[in-house]
Amino acid sequence: MADVHETNRKRREKIFYGLAVLVLFFLPFFIPYKALGSQILIFMLFAMGYDICLGYAGMLSFGHAAFFGMGAYVTGLLILHQNANILVAIFAGVLCSALLAFPVGYTAIRRRGIYFAMVTLAYAQMFYFIAFKWTSLTGGDDGLQGIPRPDFFGISLQSETRVYYFILGFLLIAILFAFRVVHSPFGHALVSIRESEQRAQSIGFNPARFKLLAFVISASLCGLAGSLYCILQNFVPLKTLHWSISGDIVMMTILGGMGTLVGPLFGGMFVVLVREVLSTYTHLWALIMGVSFIVIVLVFRKGVIGELKKRAVI
Amino acid sequence: MVLSPNRRFQGLGPDESLMNTTTLIMMLFNGLVFGSYLVLLSLGLSIIFGMLGVVNFAQGALYMLGAYAGYTCLLFGLNFWLALLVAPLVVAFIAMLAERFLIRHLYKEADIYVVLLTFGLMLVFEEVVRLIFGDLGRPIAVPDLLSGVVNLGFMYYPKYRLFIIGVTALCAFGTWWFLIRTKLGSIIRAGTDDSEMVDALGIHISRIYTGVFAFGAGLAGLAGILAGPLQEVTPLMGNEILIQIFVVVVIGGLGSIAGSIVAGLLIGEIITLGVLFWPTAAMTSIYVLMAVVLLVRPRGFFGRVGFHE
Repeated sequence: MADVHETNRKRREKIFYGLAVLVLFFLPFFIPYKALGSQILIFMLFAMGYDICLGYAGMLSFGHAAFFGMGAYVTGLLILHQNANILVAIFAGVLCSALLAFPVGYTAIRRRGIYFAMVTLAYAQMFYFIAFKWTSLTGGDDGLQGIPRPDFFGISLQSETRVYYFILGFLLIAILFAFRVVHSPFGHALVSIRESEQRAQSIGFNPARFKLLAFVISASLCGLAGSLYCILQNFVPLKTLHWSISGDIVMMTILGGMGTLVGPLFGGMFVVLVREVLSTYTHLWALIMGVSFIVIVLVFRKGVIGELKKRAVI
Repeated sequence: MVLSPNRRFQGLGPDESLMNTTTLIMMLFNGLVFGSYLVLLSLGLSIIFGMLGVVNFAQGALYMLGAYAGYTCLLFGLNFWLALLVAPLVVAFIAMLAERFLIRHLYKEADIYVVLLTFGLMLVFEEVVRLIFGDLGRPIAVPDLLSGVVNLGFMYYPKYRLFIIGVTALCAFGTWWFLIRTKLGSIIRAGTDDSEMVDALGIHISRIYTGVFAFGAGLAGLAGILAGPLQEVTPLMGNEILIQIFVVVVIGGLGSIAGSIVAGLLIGEIITLGVLFWPTAAMTSIYVLMAVVLLVRPRGFFGRVGFHE
């Protein structure tokens, strides 16, 4: 009987994923303007990348804006000054985010648990300051402006619809990659470390190394989101490095259901859409976020996907 | 962006003609003043962490609330001294409500949820204050008794700043004395090590939790009203200092009184002197120091092995 149940669950899961991809393919035709769709994709990617750190490795980072910003700035600078190929610029953004994650992760992981949130927040604030002060490179408070959108091997990306599918391509690849990672032996080891570091250590895993690698992978995906954000906006605002972005991403991940990958993807889409609907109340956004944080943490900790899973819907 | 009470001295700059001993000593004193806020704030953060095992992300917002509570008191015609008493109490009361009705429900869950809850509280406090008072900075006047300067023999120094250093020293000593010498203090210390056992001994540990959280928040509120006269009171004033107190407790060792004091004063001096000698690096240097401490002494100067790990 259990097998039948399992097959049913798997079938439902497949239908669910198929529908989700279908929705993404036709999303630009259902929303007020195309760039919003691209923004949704970028934050879906960002939240999913973050989930590898929070949901799977169990590390609460308040510094992921640094990686998002790093990706965006590096891609922007390369296109702006070197007229770089779009793929090279994106790849460089991802690489730099990963490189940045090494020292940050290495030092932050030395202190377990709750220190991690403080240390990552402190580092992120430092990078914000550097970008704010280093005006000659980053444009300071004004951000990096007037970045042209390069062609993709001869295909012009000036149309917002094309950019949407360009970004969707990256998102789908990233999703496959992330699922591969969390379902690999490495991913299982991560979960075992999250559940009990001591136990994982006693069966021969080196928790610090696994956590660092998870942090770097997570940062790379967030860097990719940043790079794509730069391509989409033709502009890198200083705000990409601000801690409020880190807060938003934590929110999307928890709301969707951390440790599920699908949850944060949903959370990213949902939060961006809600922000759009409430755009007339932008001045109240931080308050809305604050209240949502409190409510979600108190009564909806598992998130949307977590709750659905608990009720065995998917 | 740079929140530091020494901002008005930035005008001095690294001008050679001004770099005499008196200026240097004056800057050291200013560092002590700025360090004092950091000590009060990180002490509160540390005590809360020791008891509840929770990093309070709202600590900076509570500091801001203290400043606004003081400002409101003065607006209603109370004098500064009463405001100095009322503001921390108001903040402690708000924190008490938050602990009693929100935070308490999450002690059984993983620590990250409490952290996220205090993060949410921080946003709510800041935005509510912003809605009521607006973004514009509000002034708090230095009380008459403390305005002007005092002759220290080798230099003149503002009375109010010396007062801040004195109050902080008193509070830090008082907290230490309270925790080490009183019965309630020993209950708190016992609860820090094993709260279940203390509960089993017939002590209402949940009341102690509420009290400790309110006390730590009250210290932040006190720092807020003390900081008021030296800078403008703004809704975001707690925002940056939050990061600085995180650096302080990482360096000093979370949960240690001595760590908060030593690291608080150290960071205060580094930022103040840094702004004078090399402004661009001043804000980065504390993070570099934090990274170095994490590498060579991951628990900080005074961190205990196995404490909330």
